[in-house]
Amino acid sequence: MSYIISFCLCVIYNWSMENDVLFQFKNVHLRVDDNHILQGLEFNISKGEFVSVIGASGAGKSSLLRMFNALTSPSEGYITFRGIEIDSDIQALRKNVGVLFQNPVVFEGTVRENLLIAGRWDQTISQTLDHEIQTALDQVGLVNIKLTHHAKDLSGGEQQRLALARTLLNHPQVLLLDEPTSNLDPKLAREIMDQIEELREALNLTVIAVSHDHMLMRRYAKRVIILSHGKIIGDGDFKTLDKSHAFEDAGLLKNEVNDAT
Amino acid sequence: MRPDFYVLSWNDLLVSLLFIAFSLFLIKKWKLGLENTLLIGTLRTFVQLTLMGYVLTWFFDQQHWAFMLMLLFLMILIASYEGTRRQKQVIPHFFPAMLVALLGSAILILGTILLFILDVEPWFSPYAAIPIGGMIIGNGLNSTALTANRFVGEMKHREKEIETLLALGATPKLAVYDAMKASIHAALIPNINAMMTVGLVQLPGVMTGQILAGIDPIIAVRYQIMIMYMWFTTATLANMIMLAIVYRQYFTSKLQLRRELLRENKA
Repeated sequence: MSYIISFCLCVIYNWSMENDVLFQFKNVHLRVDDNHILQGLEFNISKGEFVSVIGASGAGKSSLLRMFNALTSPSEGYITFRGIEIDSDIQALRKNVGVLFQNPVVFEGTVRENLLIAGRWDQTISQTLDHEIQTALDQVGLVNIKLTHHAKDLSGGEQQRLALARTLLNHPQVLLLDEPTSNLDPKLAREIMDQIEELREALNLTVIAVSHDHMLMRRYAKRVIILSHGKIIGDGDFKTLDKSHAFEDAGLLKNEVNDAT
Repeated sequence: MRPDFYVLSWNDLLVSLLFIAFSLFLIKKWKLGLENTLLIGTLRTFVQLTLMGYVLTWFFDQQHWAFMLMLLFLMILIASYEGTRRQKQVIPHFFPAMLVALLGSAILILGTILLFILDVEPWFSPYAAIPIGGMIIGNGLNSTALTANRFVGEMKHREKEIETLLALGATPKLAVYDAMKASIHAALIPNINAMMTVGLVQLPGVMTGQILAGIDPIIAVRYQIMIMYMWFTTATLANMIMLAIVYRQYFTSKLQLRRELLRENKA
């Protein structure tokens, strides 16, 4: 049995390497108690893509996003990252796959302490030089912030940027966004998304963004995965999916779609 | 002249009932409606402690190491059960965690005191092992029960923080470090404060008891100092052992926070 599995994994590995596939989801289910949160998801995500996962609240978007950095594991099915089982080296995976949560977590202490928090366990981070920290801050548009500034005194938008800079210091290949701008005003939300898009191009990042705001997402994402009740009901570019009923079926209003196009 | 010790006779004790009579009078006058409860409490104090006295007398007559070990283990079992019962949250495997924490600190601290500090001969002499063991176990129980409650509270409060650290590549131990630190601080600071003020505000119970029993205050003080040190170390050790076991229950082997455990409360 194990021979067959290793053979299959080898085949998947070779195949995915050729196609630049980063993530592969195969028949992924998630059950929590009696709830069947994700049901038989199958898709690949390739290097450099900007994918947005759209759906009404409770559709399973956040649960799905948590699987990309193994904060949640499937109850059934499997996921590979760069052709290897996703949970084979979780700490390395999480360094590679950064995440920005809806409400950024800012720790007690200065901006510098916040940025270097991973230095508690990672020597390369604890030895980060000031100019590298500055570069990360520049990349996220936090130019006039002192490293000695108390981090909790920053505004909501600045805290979100700080969290982004902290993630960048791990030099990730993938950035996960969990409704990162939903608590910000539209102008600020757009500014941060513009910054992320710039970073994606500059650093060749793969971005996977969960949002209920498809109007915002269609400005950035080339590909959209529409989730409804734990199932994928649409996967493709916005234009193609606009022609289907997928957005309406997912509980997203038709006029929103029209407004955005 | 210092008396050898004051013996309290049954008759003397009857006189102390005047305290209760006085309280009853006051309670009645203020119509507090506590008369019956007070009478039951008075009676229970008398019966329970008198029985305990006979039980202790019997214990103190037992001179066998196996008996002492079994008794201490029984005390630890009861304390672990009590500690588990006191938790407001469901903490997986909390009973064995308490058991290991109390057993570990009792073996180390009681062992050191009996063998190297008091040089008790034989080491299982009930006159030393029962009261000191009781203090260690009782103190360990109170401290760990509080710390565990606080720790789970901290984890609930810091759920996002813990997941952010995990997402940055932290191990579970590092991800809960701040929560552990806060809960251990909360447990140990009262102990340190007690060490700061002991003797200034009030005389601790053990010392008072020893002085009343006719022991030289200088010797009673030495005992008290040892007990203060012992209390602090018990709290430190028992809490650390308990937390080292408990925090692991909140993570999967895949370094994931078991968030569902933070949502559960005891029915």
